[in-house]
Amino acid sequence: MSDDPLYNRLREQSWRRQLTGPEQAELRAWLSAHPEAQADWEAEAELNASLSRLPDAPVPGNFTARVLQAVEHEAAAGLRPREGKWLVWPWRRWLPKVAFAVVIVGAGFVSYQKVEAANRRKLAESVAVVSSVSSLPSPDILKDFDAIRALNSTPPPDEELLMVFQ
Amino acid sequence: MSPAADPDAALMLRVKQGDAAAFTELVDKYKQPVMNVAYRMLHDATEAEDLAQAVFVQVFKAADRYRVSSKFSTWLFTIARNLCLNEIRRRDRHQAESMEAPHPEQEDQPLHQFEDTQTVSPPERLLHGESADKIEQALAELPENQRLAIVLCRQEELSYEEIAQVLRCSVSATKSLIHRGRETLKLKLKPYLQSGAWHGPK
Repeated sequence: MSDDPLYNRLREQSWRRQLTGPEQAELRAWLSAHPEAQADWEAEAELNASLSRLPDAPVPGNFTARVLQAVEHEAAAGLRPREGKWLVWPWRRWLPKVAFAVVIVGAGFVSYQKVEAANRRKLAESVAVVSSVSSLPSPDILKDFDAIRALNSTPPPDEELLMVFQ
Repeated sequence: MSPAADPDAALMLRVKQGDAAAFTELVDKYKQPVMNVAYRMLHDATEAEDLAQAVFVQVFKAADRYRVSSKFSTWLFTIARNLCLNEIRRRDRHQAESMEAPHPEQEDQPLHQFEDTQTVSPPERLLHGESADKIEQALAELPENQRLAIVLCRQEELSYEEIAQVLRCSVSATKSLIHRGRETLKLKLKPYLQSGAWHGPK
């Protein structure tokens, strides 16, 4: 294969379409100057010819009519009430995602409930511990607290009297 | 690109406005090229027909969103490419049966049958049919991007720039895909190409 830009350009054109008269003349002139590329060009031309002779895929005679029928069907589907569409299509499309989300949220809710139950159990246990402690003395014993406290308090020293004594 | 530069884009703008005749015209014009691409990509005539129909239905459904930013044919073949690749992926996932693996009872039958519209003598017809099968088989064995590039390359409506747009790669990458695909074809078909047996009727 040659790296010559002219040859490459003509070769790439030949992949898409038949070369025009001037292009063919250009190619002939180039090949006469580069006979070593003759075999490569012949293989290219053979493949081009073989590909261009491939038969068209068979198209049924009623193809256009069938397309138009399918389009009419689509158009009719497009005119259906919108509520109906929302009920059918989004659920079909989103059902797996919604189901997955429900499972995740459900799992989260169950976990939260378990943690909450564990917390409540701990709280109940600590309340039980507190309740088992012996009861405090009755408040009646504190009824003379202020009076007793007042007995202990002494008046401030009489500074003047102390001075006289001195 | 303006609609005046691409008559098909002008037709598509009429489709956008609800013109059924314009849509029919587009379908009639492009049904053969789209069928060729679909058939060469899927190698199943029935599936190719269904896919080609889906391409045109998609064109109709997307008419509202159509903007004349490139040639209509580029847009059309991009839709065809996407649907073909989706179908190939779906097949890969479901490992569906295809014509590439013929039923044991049908192994002696040609891989693909086409209506031969050319008037040729029976021996020539036989030779031509055999060579077409060999090329179809060699094409089918190419990687899908090389195959699509070569098939689109034979659509004379498309330039290399437009093929590159359809394939979503650069022009140089497109030419490289075509070159590599053709080199593989030449290698596989060497005995037939050298014999010159495929020249067919002039």
